[in-house]
Amino acid sequence: MKLEDVDLLKEFTSEQIAKLDEIISKHRGKPGGLIPVLEEAQVSLEYLPIGIQKRIAKGLNLPLSRVYGVVTFYSFFTMTPRGKHTVRVCLGTACYVRGGKAIAEKLEKEFGIKEGETTPDRMFTLETVRCLGACGLGPVVIIDEDVHGRIKPGKVREILSQYN
Amino acid sequence: MEIANITINGQPVSAQVGSTILQAARQAGIDIPTLCDHPALIPIGACRICLVEVTGQRTLITACTFPITEGMVVQTESPQVVMARKLILDLLFSERNHFCPFCEASGNCELQNLGYRYGVDHWLYSTFTKAFPIDATHKHLFMEHNRCILCGRCERACGEIVANHTLGLRNRGNASMIHCDASLPWGESTCISCGTCLQVCPTGAISDKRSAFMGRDVQTESTKTTCNRCSIGCGMEVVTRAGNVLRIKSDWDAEVNGGRLCEYGRFDPLYDPRDRITSPLLRRKGRLEPVSWDEALQSVADRVGAAQGQEIGVLTSSNSTNEALYLLNKLFCQELGAKNVGLLNSVAPKLFDQPRGSLADIVAGDVIMVVGTDPVKDQPVASFFVKRSVDKGARLIVVDDGENGLAPFAYMNLRIADIGRAIEIAHRAAQPIVLYGVGASEAAVKSLKALQGKARFVTLEPGVNTFAAVTFGFNNGFKPSAAKVLYASLGEQDWSGGDMLKAVDKGAFVVVQASFASPLTEKADVVLPTAIWSERAGSLTNTEGRVQKVNKAVEPRGGAKPDWEILSLLAEKLGRKLGASLDEIAALAVQEIKYKENQR
Repeated sequence: MKLEDVDLLKEFTSEQIAKLDEIISKHRGKPGGLIPVLEEAQVSLEYLPIGIQKRIAKGLNLPLSRVYGVVTFYSFFTMTPRGKHTVRVCLGTACYVRGGKAIAEKLEKEFGIKEGETTPDRMFTLETVRCLGACGLGPVVIIDEDVHGRIKPGKVREILSQYN
Repeated sequence: MEIANITINGQPVSAQVGSTILQAARQAGIDIPTLCDHPALIPIGACRICLVEVTGQRTLITACTFPITEGMVVQTESPQVVMARKLILDLLFSERNHFCPFCEASGNCELQNLGYRYGVDHWLYSTFTKAFPIDATHKHLFMEHNRCILCGRCERACGEIVANHTLGLRNRGNASMIHCDASLPWGESTCISCGTCLQVCPTGAISDKRSAFMGRDVQTESTKTTCNRCSIGCGMEVVTRAGNVLRIKSDWDAEVNGGRLCEYGRFDPLYDPRDRITSPLLRRKGRLEPVSWDEALQSVADRVGAAQGQEIGVLTSSNSTNEALYLLNKLFCQELGAKNVGLLNSVAPKLFDQPRGSLADIVAGDVIMVVGTDPVKDQPVASFFVKRSVDKGARLIVVDDGENGLAPFAYMNLRIADIGRAIEIAHRAAQPIVLYGVGASEAAVKSLKALQGKARFVTLEPGVNTFAAVTFGFNNGFKPSAAKVLYASLGEQDWSGGDMLKAVDKGAFVVVQASFASPLTEKADVVLPTAIWSERAGSLTNTEGRVQKVNKAVEPRGGAKPDWEILSLLAEKLGRKLGASLDEIAALAVQEIKYKENQR
């Protein structure tokens, strides 16, 4: 087994790597194949560390510098593991004036992480967004696909308890 | 060739259909400012500074990417264009730290020049809100991201010209920056230190550590010459100030390399740690003492003149100029009858009698065979051509027994004994190219002949001026034991003597013509100090057989003299007239190279 495979196997299962190779070979040689590969890889592997990017670069015969450039350009791609649930706090104008900031701070305290980070148990990833178009419900927190409106810092723990 | 007639600023201009507005304007001598565009790179229209007004177009368009059409009417400095350019400059200047007084590039900066041209005398927007770290981990260069305008020239040069793809652009918005590989420190990345990015950078974002802050363009002089580090013979410019070499730039107009240079050519000559010999030395009572040129040459002439032809041994480095090799051959072999001559490096096997293929052929190939040579190590610029070809879809087959720097780029790696498989593939290709060198075995050479007429063959000679050295007969098996008088023209070559010197008779009279002190110069009876690459004029013949001029950029250090001049003076001392001036000797040497090439 190659050294790079050993490194990858620390984080991913051999099935996941086989799946990645399948994705790569599906798009190999096609112009513009990089973004579809990254997208599918992100979905099946959840995140794209350098080792995965190197494998994609090699497989598609592209420079690593370009693969890395694309991964860092699009916010959809992430290089660190994401939590099982994504918590998005709205800090748009309406939510902000109705206490969005306090909700965000409460969540940071609750999780013990900063915005953009993932809890050590990989349960939650905390993100902030600018307006979700639900200003009437402000302050708004979206967890995965569920919208939670008019929440107060005191209710945060109760809402989070629904997710595990 | 179809021609389109257009009007630029009221002036009629004709240019080839398909050329861009920028190209047409440049041909007509009309200046359109550019930042991201560079003549050696594919235009991308990113910086928008070349915006021009074209009648009938809805908006201003980028001159660097827009092709001309018949009857097009272009305004390059209309009020609307100037306003747009000023806005772009205001934005560029405000994005990062473009505070010129502390910048290395100040005075040579394309952004600064445009600032003056369009009267950017104050910041319209607040400046550098985001600070970036400086990457100074590279051996020769440092990257000051705060001076970067993200034109992408370096990144494209790294990919398009050198095909190394180390540099890339990462992140977006105001966090965008140039990075190496995947955000590695530059010094730990896959960078091969060719310095092409340094040369294309329009601002002070990439600087050379050695020559930074040592002189602006107006304070320096530049001499075009030919690199003497390998047999490619790249055209380069030596930048000097007050008799000192500051840096080396590649020559965009050079036919062989077209602006490429490698670490060996661009940086290594500036960091030579060896001790120079600056005065002729003569051994007296067992010790080498500085003497005058006259005395040193007289003692050489006395011993050489008294020796029989078969007692004289001549060894030369392929680092010598055509002129020196010509004189060595003329003086020692033809006039004095020496037959025991040798070259300090090996020679690529001879495949055919016809003239050799040119390096430019490499990019035309769809299958490239590299046989018994490692250009990554020995002729990096040739490897750039190969890697560029691979990027464009050519298939690379490396046929070599040892480690080969091109192996990671190859789709097939074979041992020399299996060359037959590569030849089969080459037979099926449309335009196979064969690069071969000294490692190609006899059997391999024999089987390569099957491709005659089908493939183009490019020889990669080891050494520097090996082509001319072979032409002048310096390729025989040198027998050290037979030499009673040994004349070794080392030049800049690092050669300790090895087993060969041990075999030289203890009583032999050893003359060493060298630039640097070495174990060999310590054993010599006479040492003649030789001028180095930047201090000599003459010519070199590259691996294709192309004769190129070498020009003197600075005066020789101390009493050192160019290799050909030493030999010419020695010939005079021996009473032989072999040509007095460089021009005369050069003409004779080149004539002989051409004549012998036709004879081969």
